[in-house]
Amino acid sequence: MSAPVTVLDEQPTKLGRVFTVFTIVLYAVSAVLAIWSIVETIRNRPAGTLLLGASALLLLLLIVQLVLSIATFGSTHDVDPLLYFGYVITAILVIALAGFWAFAELSRWGPGVLAAAGLTVIVMIERLDQIWQ
Amino acid sequence: MNKRHDGGGARSAAASAKKDRAAKRNQSPFSAMHTGPGRALTAVYGVFALSATARAGYQVIREFDVAPVAYSLSVIAAVIYIVATISLVIGNRISHRIAIASCLIEFAGVIVVGVLSFTHPEDFAKPSVWSSFGSGYGFIPLILPLIGLWWLSLVGRRIRTA
Repeated sequence: MSAPVTVLDEQPTKLGRVFTVFTIVLYAVSAVLAIWSIVETIRNRPAGTLLLGASALLLLLLIVQLVLSIATFGSTHDVDPLLYFGYVITAILVIALAGFWAFAELSRWGPGVLAAAGLTVIVMIERLDQIWQ
Repeated sequence: MNKRHDGGGARSAAASAKKDRAAKRNQSPFSAMHTGPGRALTAVYGVFALSATARAGYQVIREFDVAPVAYSLSVIAAVIYIVATISLVIGNRISHRIAIASCLIEFAGVIVVGVLSFTHPEDFAKPSVWSSFGSGYGFIPLILPLIGLWWLSLVGRRIRTA
């Protein structure tokens, strides 16, 4: 690679590192949400404030992901935006609706809903990561 | 809502949940379709409706000519998941029947498309939700209609005996 390219390269690698860390955080939060929800379902508990808070946190992180990827999408990739943002927006909808749905159910199946949503979001983050690369 | 604790209040919360569900059943017995375990089922159906629609929409907009048969089937699958989800959410006598019908269509679809994807692989160059018996989705499309039928018949039986 020639000199001007290396200068240009510096920005994407820094950005790439931010994205890698953020993806790991997303994986961690959704995995914690899924496992915690499964445990609460087995323990026969309704979704408590903390669990609903965790799903709200995941929702917030996914919105941050949406904003980050809109901000950096432009010139960095030849990824199809319809495919990528289709996944991000679907993931946001899944978590938002699951949160409401779990809040309305005062039995063990509230966390059950969140477990299903959490597992779905893990798969979707994996797909997002594949598409981005 | 003041019963919503993480620790000690769980028992009273569970009791109030039971009361809540009983009250709901008095309003319309078929609303039991989307409460308790049915809520988790409805959520999974909702996830499938949403993701199948998003995927089918993308496939049709961007690359319909690549595999028209598989992508048309994706659209049909998405529509059936939407119908099933809406019937579960509505939860009355008629939507109970519609939900049973859509579960049956779904199961037949998974079996037929699953077989076709092995006998006519050239039509399934690109995957649809139901090809290879839903292996791309962890075989959930194969199991989900069976769980759905089991749950719907349980709800129906409970209402008939009550």
